[in-house]
Parts: sequence; structure tokens; C-alpha cells
Amino acid sequence: MAYVVYVFRKLFGYDTEKATRLMLQVHFDGRARVSDGSREKAEVDCYRLHGHGLWATMEQ
Amino acid sequence: MVDVPAEEKEFMSDVLDLLASVPATGDDPATQRLQVPVYLDDPEANSEWWLFMGEELSMARAADRNVYRRVMETDGKLELTTEEADAVLRVLNEGRLALGARFGLEVEADHDQLPDEQRQVLDFLGWVLEELTVALTTAL
Repeated sequence: MAYVVYVFRKLFGYDTEKATRLMLQVHFDGRARVSDGSREKAEVDCYRLHGHGLWATMEQ
Repeated sequence: MVDVPAEEKEFMSDVLDLLASVPATGDDPATQRLQVPVYLDDPEANSEWWLFMGEELSMARAADRNVYRRVMETDGKLELTTEEADAVLRVLNEGRLALGARFGLEVEADHDQLPDEQRQVLDFLGWVLEELTVALTTAL
């Protein structure tokens, strides 16, 4: 789980508290909204997360 | 600075063999886990994403594995940049995911139901992943 927090902090610049909150949301709820923006930005964010082994999906 | 004991290095090198054995397509659970859909409700958009981003992802993963291989093939201590250490982290995580998928892990609770040997392998990789993550976190 430290790995997920690390990835969120590294990719999105979140502080430890926010990254941990998102990680716990994924852990307990199965999902969390970690990024938003244009479709292009979101697709790139998905790519970056997949590159770190995290399952990311697109949603409008 | 990385200094992996020889016996652990031999074991960790097997991660590369594991990842090399994962087919690019097909029903292998490891393939399914490493190529999860991005668009859940739009198969066309998902295929398009994987068509363009999939190749980039494969190239990035190959580059990471080259770094990982260098670490495993180097005797003694090796100084890594943060990016190189990140590459090692990604390969470890990728290997752990592929192995877990092949062991039939779908939810966290499955972990405790695994045979001892399988659970120990995953636990060891998880421990190495955690230790390296903690070390890299201080660099953020």
C-alpha cells in the first residue's frame, strides 16, 4: 500500500495525507477518483498509472 | 545505493523470466492483469487506447526491465538514480501482479488461501517493494 501512496504522490504531487486517503478509498471502496481534466489529460494519466501497475479507467 | 545479497538477487532475477513468459495477448491471467481495460464501457475506445498507448507502455516496461537486469547482474553495490530505482520498483510491482494473477489472486482475501510457497514468494516480493518504496519516498 505504501507503493500506491508513493505513486499518487509522485505522479500527481499529492501530499501524504491526500495520497493516503485516495489509497484507502481504493482499498475499501475498490476505486477512487485520482485525477480529472480533459480526455487527453485523463488518457495520459491512465497511461502513467498503468505504467506503475495501477489499474486506471476513464470515466466521464 | 543498492546492494542485493546474492541469494536474493538470484530469486529476484526470476521476476524477469516470469515477465518474459507473459504473452502479449491471450487468456493468461498475467496478460489480463497487465493489460486491464481503460474504457470499461466502450470496447472501441479501449481498443484504440491500447493500440496507441499499449506500444508505448510495452517500450517503457522493456526499458524498466533493462535497468532491473543491470541491477541483478551487477556484483556488489550499485548506485542508482531515482529514476532507475523507480524502474526497479515498477518491475517488482509488475512481477508481483503477474505472479499473483497466475496464482489466482482476485481479491486481497485470496492471499491467505494460497499454498505456503506461493504466499511466501508474494510476501517476499511485497517486502522488497515496500522497503524500496520507503527509501524512495524520502526522496519525494
